Amino acid sequence: MELLNLQPVESYKTFLKENIRPDGRELMETRQTVLNVGSISTADGSALVKLGETMVICGVKAELTIPSAEDPGKGIVVPNMEMSALCSSHFKPGPPSEQAQVITKFLDNLLKSCTVIDTADLCVMKDKLVWVLYCDLICLNYDGNALDASVLALIAALQNVKIPEVTVDDESGLPHTNMEVKKAFATRGMPCATTFTVFDGSHIIADPTLKEEDITEGNITVVTDEHDNLIYVQRQGGLAMPEAEMQKCVKRAVEHGSEMRKLYLAVAS
Amino acid sequence: MAGLELLSDQGYRIDGRKPDELRRIRCKLGVFTQADGSAYIEQGNTKVLAAIYGPREADQNMRNQICHDKCFLNCEYTQATFSTAERKHRSRGDRKGQDMSTHIKQTFEATIQTSLYPRSQIDIYLQVLQADGSNYCACINAASLALIDAGIAMKDYVCACSASLTKGKPVIDINHVEESSDCAELSVAILPKLDQIVYSELNGRLHANELPDVIDAVVRGCKDLFVVMDRTVREHLEETATTFTHS
Repeated sequence: MELLNLQPVESYKTFLKENIRPDGRELMETRQTVLNVGSISTADGSALVKLGETMVICGVKAELTIPSAEDPGKGIVVPNMEMSALCSSHFKPGPPSEQAQVITKFLDNLLKSCTVIDTADLCVMKDKLVWVLYCDLICLNYDGNALDASVLALIAALQNVKIPEVTVDDESGLPHTNMEVKKAFATRGMPCATTFTVFDGSHIIADPTLKEEDITEGNITVVTDEHDNLIYVQRQGGLAMPEAEMQKCVKRAVEHGSEMRKLYLAVAS
Repeated sequence: MAGLELLSDQGYRIDGRKPDELRRIRCKLGVFTQADGSAYIEQGNTKVLAAIYGPREADQNMRNQICHDKCFLNCEYTQATFSTAERKHRSRGDRKGQDMSTHIKQTFEATIQTSLYPRSQIDIYLQVLQADGSNYCACINAASLALIDAGIAMKDYVCACSASLTKGKPVIDINHVEESSDCAELSVAILPKLDQIVYSELNGRLHANELPDVIDAVVRGCKDLFVVMDRTVREHLEETATTFTHS
């Protein structure tokens, strides 16, 4: 155990010779995932994800607003990820770290490319009133791979959202909210992300822990949907990767996706 | 909130509690692996997480606060945007957050045996996931448990409770509705075994004659809370001890 801290790269190589990782997982194996929805009653929808020891909570609040001029019939979904000094000693107190901002942008791009929620569903009255869903994610404990955990938390929270019905009075033009009736939005696709990272230019490992992230370079994240389509692929920095390795990652991501979708279905009711 | 009876004629509050009854308390130690000590507490619907890092070497930008004979505390209080009924985006370093952080820091400066950790820093991070009244008290209780989990030397537990005065009767552990009403709100943090008050804050108006009764009620509330917290710590230790003996 001490060797792992003193000489992380060397001792990791000895593990890889046996095709196993320090926590006993195989190279392409992901950690156990736990999903819990609806625990925050002040939020309109919430989800808590525990991916191994990485814990991310997502709370969704819905507000009414005037739509933008470019898309008068569409609502808005605004994700925001926060990784503060609370989740790991890697982060210092202060403005959002680069990692948090990268994840926020990733989630934003994912929502735009995937249409988990059809933003036209969020429209109450075209040109006048639409819903805006503020999705705030907080990383509570960071043990690597906050990205996969955030995607899972965000989608599960959106699935969990229940909003009161709003009708607009024809005469006065004022909105009338019926707090008794709450409906959920139709969510589609159930996207699921899998992140891989490259060790020493040769080995690809899935779902890295924090210690593994520190000694590896380059990430690839693949997001698949329920029909095994590729929705989003992101390759960040590091070393070059041959096409055959990419294909391996995609194949594993598709398998992992179908495993995760069982979680979505289990909490969907 | 016009027309809402904070205390009914039969002596029940809005949520069905008696005036001297605490809300349901659930707490857990050791919830995070990255932090040196962590705890989660639920007081009714108020949910707070605490994470402690330290004692560790002082941060680069806090070098000017290093003391040669004791450690210095750094406390950060954050409230999630979805923690209240109305979404409120709280920027880092806003006044309310700073205010809370300072109060919590002062409370623990009086409790932690800082002279045992010279030239180091202890960080207390608090995250409120759901706010339903008595935020300060829940934060103190969570931080206290987290410090015990981190093994940092303290004089005693710190237990905090809030109280208000309705229709002449002190009511303890107030929730958001009771807080938003016109009544005075007293928050007190005590060291239960040493029977000392480390922090007290009164908001609103209260007659001087009524103060002793309210203080008595709130101190009793803190001591009841101490019983729950102590039980949680002992259960947690027993669990950890069994994993050591079995492995």
